[in-house]
Amino acid sequence: MTESAGNKKEDCHAANGVKPGRNGMVKNHHHHHQYQKQEKVYHAACNGELYSRPFIESFEETPMLVAVLTYMGYGILTIFGYLRDFMREWKIEKCHIAREREEQKDFVPLYQDFENFYTRNLYMRIRDSWNRPICGVPGAKFDLVERSSKDYNWTFEYTGRVVKNVINLGSYNYLGFAENTGSCATAAGDVTVKFGVGVASTRQEMGNLDRHEELEKLVASFLGVESAMAFAMGFATNSMNIPAIAGKGCLILSDELNHASLVLGARLSGSTIRVFKHNNMQSLEKLLRDAIVHGQPRTHRPWKKILILVEGIYSMEGSIIRLPEVIALKKKYKAYLYLDEAHSIGALGPSGRGVVEYFGLDPKDVDIMMGTFTKSFGASGGYIGGRKDLIDYLRTHSHSAIYATSMSPPVLEQIITSMKCIMGEDGMTIGRSRIQRLAENTVYFRRRLREMGFIIYGNNDSPVVPMMLYMPAKIGAFGREMLKRNIGVVVVGFPATPIIESRARFCISAAHSKEMLDRALDVISEVGDLLQLKYSRHKALPSLDRPFDETTYEENEE
Amino acid sequence: MALGDAWKQLSWFYYQYLLVTALYMLEPWERTVFNSLLITVAAMAVYTGYVFMPQHIMAILHYFEVVQ
Repeated sequence: MTESAGNKKEDCHAANGVKPGRNGMVKNHHHHHQYQKQEKVYHAACNGELYSRPFIESFEETPMLVAVLTYMGYGILTIFGYLRDFMREWKIEKCHIAREREEQKDFVPLYQDFENFYTRNLYMRIRDSWNRPICGVPGAKFDLVERSSKDYNWTFEYTGRVVKNVINLGSYNYLGFAENTGSCATAAGDVTVKFGVGVASTRQEMGNLDRHEELEKLVASFLGVESAMAFAMGFATNSMNIPAIAGKGCLILSDELNHASLVLGARLSGSTIRVFKHNNMQSLEKLLRDAIVHGQPRTHRPWKKILILVEGIYSMEGSIIRLPEVIALKKKYKAYLYLDEAHSIGALGPSGRGVVEYFGLDPKDVDIMMGTFTKSFGASGGYIGGRKDLIDYLRTHSHSAIYATSMSPPVLEQIITSMKCIMGEDGMTIGRSRIQRLAENTVYFRRRLREMGFIIYGNNDSPVVPMMLYMPAKIGAFGREMLKRNIGVVVVGFPATPIIESRARFCISAAHSKEMLDRALDVISEVGDLLQLKYSRHKALPSLDRPFDETTYEENEE
Repeated sequence: MALGDAWKQLSWFYYQYLLVTALYMLEPWERTVFNSLLITVAAMAVYTGYVFMPQHIMAILHYFEVVQ
């Protein structure tokens, strides 16, 4: 039938022929007892046409007891939430939240929906795990301002103390470029002295500096595309440029778990949006076939264009897009591909060029390569790369180019210096060694966490590691207990994740040394025992700790 | 000390109970309300069992014709 159906015969890619809700290798029963040798089995039996390296992704199913208890916990919190709302309504208790004015009580309510109920009664109780003020560089370690609350997190006061040297497992600092010393910071300082900080204009008017042109040429050569354009804000890159590319009469096929910026851009464009299941190529193919066979909804005319929106690494799941299959589908059905590499640029691939290089594909196959400079380059902003005529079109038709201020010179310089460092153009090997260290850290951290018995989602190579917590009380407890032991983590719950699948998300960095990771792992294990977080029912046998004397990419090419 | 260990174990169990039922996130008076309700219901169940157990056991034995 199709190239992706060819994979169905291969049991090694367990997620291919299995139902969409059960993506993951753990359901592949006959490989179960060969867990230790699984990587070899995958590599030998893999579909060599599309995947040159093993693609190991797992999303272990929620244990039934844990799901039931989580729902029970949310039920108890909801009952108490109604009780507190009742007390607030009848003025038994003082109301701290925003309320409508007395004169507007008969109007359509502004503040009453479930998400607000959730914010008032559940989020507020554990709010001290978020919005923590940092007073230094968010590198591998940072300093935190201590806060306390007397009225259960409605207001905070500063105690005056600073918690020093908290290990940072939450910042998107994949290659460790968020630092205030070194060549990047010096270059940014020099440029500030020469150009100032503000640009005071948009790109189309007076805001086009020569450094912008140089950055764009550098980004284009980094990605291997003809031309690129840089914007000042990553979110705005997506939400302002998709409307310029797609419009009425176009079809957008977007992944279930796409980022809010992609969803907003798709909605603003006015195209028809259809959603396919996360990383599920059968679902995508079915949608493509239906679109081509049936055309537009009422008139049955052919679609003007079909645009597939996917991300390189999904940051809530830690999964990597099945890019070879998407490109095969796109070529077969003549659709266009928009790849958002916010988390994967700089973090994947032997020389950090992102998910396209990770799979060994041709960058010219991806029509629009978008990414951000926030994560691996330690700056802010986004870029779009592609063919020269596309980028020239965007320069004149993108809202971001016409209305938004262009990138500030110190940020520009940080990006240029860090990108040259990664490419190795400054003559040193810092970039290469950082990429290798990130890969080693990722594989080590994921392996150790899995051996301890936690449920970890995602691909083995992704530096974003989501660890499942499930129960609402454990979200707050985990954040607080980790901070007590001097480790800063990001915990996420509803509405960023499905309601019972709350998680703690670790972001591994090349700046983490092995000692820091070991300390973090010991603390996570301790807190995991204290809070009973080791839910995994697959006991992996610990493999020997191999010395990392070669890059982890080369050893897979045996 | 055995009593100290028992106390530590009990407080660990209480902590797990607080986490699983999400009482960990509630304010102390809310915990008191919930715990009182729970203990009241449990006490009523135990009391009912205590009052009716002899009758139930006699009825079972009568059914199996062990006693007339």
